[in-house]
Amino acid sequence: MDDKLKAAMAAQLAQLRNDYLARLPAELATLQGLGAGLSGGDADRASLDELHHRLHKLAGSGGTFGLAALSAGARTLEQRVNGWLAGSLDGQGAQAREAFSAALAALGETLTGADVPPASVAQARGAVAAPGKSTRVWLVEDDVLLGEELGRQLGSFNYVVRRFTRIGDAEHAARTERPDMLIMDVMFEQEGENATEVFALHPNLRALDCPLLFITSMDDFQSRVRAAQLGALGYFLKPLDVPRLVSRMTHIFEQQYAPAQRVLIVDDDSDLAEHYRLALLAAGMEADVLQEPVAIMEKIAAFRPELVLMDMHMPTFSGPDLAGVIRQHDKWSSLPIVYLSAETDLDRQMEAMDRGADDFLTKPISDAQLVAAVRIRIERARHLDEQINRDSLTGLLKHASVKEAAAIEVIRSRRNGKPVSLAMLDIDHFKSVNDTYGHAVGDVVISSVAMLLRQRLRQSDIVGRYGGEEFVAVLPECDAGHARLLMEDIRQRFASLRFSHEGKEFNCTLSVGLACSAAYPDSDGAALLVAADEALYVAKRGGRNQVRERKPA
Amino acid sequence: MSTLQRILYVEDEPDIQAVAKLALEMVGGFTVKVCSSGEEALREAVAFAPDMILLDVMMPGMDGPSTLKALRALPGLAELPVAFMTAKVQPAEVAHYKTLGARDVIAKPFDPMALASQVRAIWEG
Repeated sequence: MDDKLKAAMAAQLAQLRNDYLARLPAELATLQGLGAGLSGGDADRASLDELHHRLHKLAGSGGTFGLAALSAGARTLEQRVNGWLAGSLDGQGAQAREAFSAALAALGETLTGADVPPASVAQARGAVAAPGKSTRVWLVEDDVLLGEELGRQLGSFNYVVRRFTRIGDAEHAARTERPDMLIMDVMFEQEGENATEVFALHPNLRALDCPLLFITSMDDFQSRVRAAQLGALGYFLKPLDVPRLVSRMTHIFEQQYAPAQRVLIVDDDSDLAEHYRLALLAAGMEADVLQEPVAIMEKIAAFRPELVLMDMHMPTFSGPDLAGVIRQHDKWSSLPIVYLSAETDLDRQMEAMDRGADDFLTKPISDAQLVAAVRIRIERARHLDEQINRDSLTGLLKHASVKEAAAIEVIRSRRNGKPVSLAMLDIDHFKSVNDTYGHAVGDVVISSVAMLLRQRLRQSDIVGRYGGEEFVAVLPECDAGHARLLMEDIRQRFASLRFSHEGKEFNCTLSVGLACSAAYPDSDGAALLVAADEALYVAKRGGRNQVRERKPA
Repeated sequence: MSTLQRILYVEDEPDIQAVAKLALEMVGGFTVKVCSSGEEALREAVAFAPDMILLDVMMPGMDGPSTLKALRALPGLAELPVAFMTAKVQPAEVAHYKTLGARDVIAKPFDPMALASQVRAIWEG
């Protein structure tokens, strides 16, 4: 296997492992919940079946990702459950159940140090945490009070902050661990050193190869240039504007983390198709080859490619024939289709593009050219899609899209019998923020709500900017009680955020209205949104900075 | 004998699926179809026309051995090379799986970098 392929493989494995580690805590919590629910009678059978199944999976997946202790522990417990299931359940004593619960809890302890990426992960750039998952940030700041305050505020956005008061400590930690981001104070008064110079001198810190931000009180050109030379992605002046800092951090992580690009290859020469596929895979993309031309629409529906790479001349159906079929479907009318062909006659190329394709690549083509051509086209298509469907300030869905999402989720909840909750959030007295501090500051406040929502909610939750300072969150499989807890948490965190403008600090608050589909069995998405809006009105009338739920009279 | 290209892989655990698929596709260059259950494998196997099948032993519903038995009854699959994948690999168990008609047993957890050559060795074996 050549080195390029090896590196790509290592990167993908690291990504899978990171995703797995991120899901593990929830799985362990589920197991503990099941263990705690055992009562020692025959009624336990369903829970034990579930435990058996989950422990078996955990033993297998843990081993696959190199978590040997976790895997072995899960295997032992799986066998214990198996033994119980084989015998009579009535005889289970409280002591055995307690020991079992303790052993379940101990599974989590086997993970100590496991979230420390091994060397292969450290090399795999791009294998960073996804937005919405906890992200490790190292903060090197000798001012303890500032460090604590910053740590607390970043914590609200799900960043796990590890503080160092001495550069040497961070340097030491960098030998064995790697954060997702490094934030450094430039001026270390106690040590009398300029951190940019220290940073430049410490190969371990530089080798971290993670995004770097500087915080500083020195706004001179020399310092800024030095920071830029060291590869800093941000330079923030004290007193710190934390929401702005967070906005930059979020932006950096989102750029790094993007789902793999998906390419469908249509070529009757199977060796060539396979070659393209491997070249794209090695570049970190997902690629699939269409085997049966007649099944093209099924394939597209299942694989959801972001680009189709199409051979022009194929024996039964030509490229333009298939492109024509794709374009008959509204849903795929803007899917980029790129021809790959030895055709060099410009007129015939134009003629082919007339029939549904977007571009033309000429064979033979080098792997690097192919990858670059595909990547840039998909990036552009993604960008366009974002501009159409997403709010430019917050990156959240726009009014119409979130309304549609609410309608779909309410229908889905009727079908699967699981409640969906809708939350409508509004920033209190937002107009006075705008009037007092200006629109630029108002925009920072708005994007802070957006970032909090995205960081605190699950990936499956849908968040949109509904109006100027109004937001909607659609929470599938979430009952009213849970929704209230979530929104209370967000309300409190937002209230404790400190905004600053020209040295003046201020806080903002949120009012939230909730409605759950369980309380409105006959309502559709639009009606449920109206109910949430009414609850929001009640929260405003009740003095703002609160969460209210609407139930039918 | 032709070359090993198409592998049908039956495994219920999504995380292991993802790693094995990656390992077989990227390292081995194989065409891999993943099925999440024995039942799904029975529906898909004939149409996919695999050169070889990898079967997880313990799955909810149909387990590996019963899936193998049912697969053998399908057209074109009576003689197809099959390997089991399982965490429990005592020599006696390996022998037992072989009497069921498996060509060999792959131990879990597997090494993602080595899985493809391991599979190839079994197929050639």
